[in-house]
Amino acid sequence: MAFIGKTSVRDNIRLSETPKYPVFRELYTKQKKAVWFPEELNIQQDVLDYKSLTPTEKDLFDSAVGYFASSELLVQNVLGNGFFPVLTDPYAKMSFSTQMFMENIHSDFFEIILNSFDMDRRKVYNITLEDKLLMEKQELIVRAVDRITYGKADPDTLEGKKQILTSILLNNIIQEGLFFYSAFAHFFAMKDTGKMKNVVSGVELILIDESLHLQNGIEAILTIVEENPQIVDDYHFVENIRQTIIDAVELELNYLKTKFGGTTIFGVSYNELEKYMKYIADRRLVELGFDPQFGIDQNPLKFLQKEDVKKLTNFFEVSSTEYTNF
Amino acid sequence: MQRIVIKRDGTVERFQMKKLVDAIFALLEGLDLPDDYEIVFKVAKELDLKIPEKVTTEELDYLVLKAIEHLIPKNFIYDTLATRQLLKIINRRIDKRFNSFKEYLNYAVEEKLLKPELLNFDLENLENAIDYKRDYNLDYFGLSTLKDRYLMKDRNFETIEKPQWFFMRVAMGIGNTEDEVIKIYNKLSNLEYLHSTPTLFNSGTLTNQYSSCYVNVIDDSLDSIMDKAKETAFLAKYAGGVGTDVTRIRATGSKIHSLNAKSSGIIPFIKIFDTIVNAIQQGGRRRSSQVMYLQPWHLDVEAFLDLRETTGNPYFRTPSLNTALWMPDELMRRIKEGEPIYLFDPAECPKLVTAWGEEFKKEYEKCIEKAEKGELNLWKKIDSRDFYKKYLFKLAKTGHPWLTFKDRHNEKNPCPQYSVINSSNLCTEISIPNSPESTAVCTLASVNLAKHIKEDKSDFDWDKLKDTLETMVVALDNILDKNFYPSEESRKNTMDLRPIGIGVMGFHEALIKLGIPYDSEKAVETARKIAKFMRDITYTKSEELAKERGAFPHYYQAKYDYPPRRNAVLLAVAPTASISIIAGTSSSIDNYFSNIFSRDTLSGKFIVINKPLMQQLEEKGLWSEELAEKIKAHQGSIQYIEELEGKIDKSLYKTAYEVSPFRQIDIAAAFQEYIDQAVSKSLYIEEDLRDKMEEIYMYAWEKGLKSTYYCFIDKTVKGEKYTMNVNKRGERRGFGLARKEEKQLEKELEEIERQAREKYGDEVVEAVKSGNIEGCPTDPLLAKICPSCE
Repeated sequence: MAFIGKTSVRDNIRLSETPKYPVFRELYTKQKKAVWFPEELNIQQDVLDYKSLTPTEKDLFDSAVGYFASSELLVQNVLGNGFFPVLTDPYAKMSFSTQMFMENIHSDFFEIILNSFDMDRRKVYNITLEDKLLMEKQELIVRAVDRITYGKADPDTLEGKKQILTSILLNNIIQEGLFFYSAFAHFFAMKDTGKMKNVVSGVELILIDESLHLQNGIEAILTIVEENPQIVDDYHFVENIRQTIIDAVELELNYLKTKFGGTTIFGVSYNELEKYMKYIADRRLVELGFDPQFGIDQNPLKFLQKEDVKKLTNFFEVSSTEYTNF
Repeated sequence: MQRIVIKRDGTVERFQMKKLVDAIFALLEGLDLPDDYEIVFKVAKELDLKIPEKVTTEELDYLVLKAIEHLIPKNFIYDTLATRQLLKIINRRIDKRFNSFKEYLNYAVEEKLLKPELLNFDLENLENAIDYKRDYNLDYFGLSTLKDRYLMKDRNFETIEKPQWFFMRVAMGIGNTEDEVIKIYNKLSNLEYLHSTPTLFNSGTLTNQYSSCYVNVIDDSLDSIMDKAKETAFLAKYAGGVGTDVTRIRATGSKIHSLNAKSSGIIPFIKIFDTIVNAIQQGGRRRSSQVMYLQPWHLDVEAFLDLRETTGNPYFRTPSLNTALWMPDELMRRIKEGEPIYLFDPAECPKLVTAWGEEFKKEYEKCIEKAEKGELNLWKKIDSRDFYKKYLFKLAKTGHPWLTFKDRHNEKNPCPQYSVINSSNLCTEISIPNSPESTAVCTLASVNLAKHIKEDKSDFDWDKLKDTLETMVVALDNILDKNFYPSEESRKNTMDLRPIGIGVMGFHEALIKLGIPYDSEKAVETARKIAKFMRDITYTKSEELAKERGAFPHYYQAKYDYPPRRNAVLLAVAPTASISIIAGTSSSIDNYFSNIFSRDTLSGKFIVINKPLMQQLEEKGLWSEELAEKIKAHQGSIQYIEELEGKIDKSLYKTAYEVSPFRQIDIAAAFQEYIDQAVSKSLYIEEDLRDKMEEIYMYAWEKGLKSTYYCFIDKTVKGEKYTMNVNKRGERRGFGLARKEEKQLEKELEEIERQAREKYGDEVVEAVKSGNIEGCPTDPLLAKICPSCE
């Protein structure tokens, strides 16, 4: 059976010692090991920090929290309503449903932030409705996914497969692998300036999760392409996929420009972020088999090196993210 | 892009890169570097991207700092530059307010930040002793930490203390005479030793609280619990860590006679302390912390193991508290030999609380007998191996409880006639007799071993080390009489025993300088030698002080067979988490965590590089940005970097996880032989060795450690590498499969075939193509057209 197709509840319920797609068993295990709970972090510690943020800093923090808060469960919806029903492989299902579970944790985490800092709930959740550019970012995903839910796409046809692939691309690659990465940089810049450290410790954990989700998406897309080489015969479609990624970068850059304009926030400028987004986008393109578009070979946000090396936490000072639950 | 600078007075001018470049050149002054242009160019390039359209001068200073900081992993010179830039930022603002150290002191006394007594010293004499060049002893991480949290701030949180003023102010709060002050200042500012964080924070200030740790005991009564809750709140307020023994509190279901009811056990009471610590951690410069000690024969021990779990009933979880087990030998023996463990209610078996060693064994066996005869109301028999396994699982999962050994602590108790030792402290290095009426206090300082190596690197500089250790004994003993004690119980303990704790840091850095690998028998011998030396020198000094100032008062009330000394205990190896950062060296007796790693602290997140490695590679001309990237890609390990093979002694630079946990224990055990209090030892265990944890912790017990501390287990699942290229696609081509490329491939194949025909002739090529040969061709050209190779 192909990777995606029409399934009945009777299907795909048996695990095998020799799975057809071993990578999803591996990804399931990795995600299982990464599971964490918001209670592990002492968010309360950051209340004083939050109160001392400047208005622009606070606005950036609130927007980042708002964007995540209203996107985490959206990601879950996309998977639950659109992609999950057409998965034929039990391990792929386990991997993607673990991702769905992790989105709960993230929502829960942002909910705790919202409560701890006494943020305006309505405003936070409405941010993707009221900020035109943020809305556009989210709409990009919603439109594509609404086209395939409730059996509107037939996974057994080539056209259906293409639609499903597109929605995975938008969800796991563009949303989680581009838009989220933009907001990650804002958070990590905060810690680099010594602010909101416990919240950012949580975001560090989310980064681990999201990079696994991204991998879920890449594996799914590459598998679909491999099984259905006709997809790449459609040169127009392939070009379209590529263009979607590039358009998403453009969208994100417009947003960043309005936030950062001619100033720096948490020591970061728009120019740096522009280069950073292009760097990340090139990565995503290459991961899917495209040539890089922007030719940025180094991450300009050098403080992100701190996320790439082993971490030692002064336990009595900052919530540690180094213990494993499994 | 036209950029503008907004100056402090509000005027606006055009941004000029040249001005900035000149300022960066100025930072390099006196360093005499051959490649100064290249360095300045790199910083300027970083900066160009950073500077927005509108920028204030203050922001500009900060962006320069950040631009330099981000280059630190590339070369050590950027660390020096960043330090200089930060110094410039600190000094410029202070220079605008104060012309001299004396002016600063006067201001701070007037503002009620510092003690007026400080002004009684001959300030001119002290001012002359200040050497500003010693600012360059600090590295960037150290100076940042100082600035963020240690340097005195005025009431508007503006820094008003220069680094050298800070060292002098601390020394003035400790020394009794100007000579003493200058001596202490010289040692501190040269980073030869440092006092613990509370001393550095509060010395000479009106807060006046110098001690790091308090250890109290809760008795089995509501009165005692609430009294200790109050004491803990006050101890915590003044930034001290608190260790608390809760073993005496009766277990769940135990009868309370006055109410004719049953007790709810220790957990709900521990929860009270969790709440207190959480409330008080908001205020100070460092959050307060507490650890609860329980002897594992207590009936509530299983719930105690779960306190740091993150799921389950929140009323039975204490996310802000630390926990530790105070483990008697008899229980370890039962675990080792597979005999069952019995759990009891301390209200029914009170003798178990204070008994230790053989006596504990006897009492424990008596309780078991009673239990089996049906004479006890509450008891439980459990499988000791299951318990041990479960315990270690919790340790790996939640980092708690830590494992400390009751009998090891008590058999070395120098004052058994005073009291037993009921528990250790927050960092597990304290071992002082205490009781519900007497709260142990310890004031700590640590010698930086890396600063006590002879110039020719042949050996430790023993004379210098002796001098430093003697200074430390006097300084710490002075503090005991100046210190503010937040509770009567804590004053009493100090006044009876006068305990101090001298520890070490920079052990690994010193080993590297001496060319001794940490993971070696030689390192164990060195540890033993250092510890013995510390013991001999400090004891001799304390005995000398006793002649001058008298021995600790309890000495005269009891009969002990050792000569009088000023302090009941003198040595304790603390983790030195923060002060080793200021000193810029490896912490405590630990291995460098990694050769490049990030460190999360209250001041933010910093990249730390193993400086000795970087310097050695630089000297040999091997350091390069590519190599730095490689080390980063290897998670800070250099063991598998081929190009360094035979060039440097790799074994000197193993990372913490690469050193066998058994060797880590050997080194701690060697120190413990001579350290009269305890050695706080964190263990670093590779995920692969997790199955060996039972063996590792059993070994720690058998080697005679008094304490273990955190158990770090290398986390295997990490986030996406942010600044390095990772291939997630593997060999697959994804959308790269698009048709256009396939045609190209065909063309390439045709070309290869043509070349092959030219080189080997048609016959061979046809044979290869049809698979008509024995085995595949070894020639790379032919292999490309061989169908089975493809």
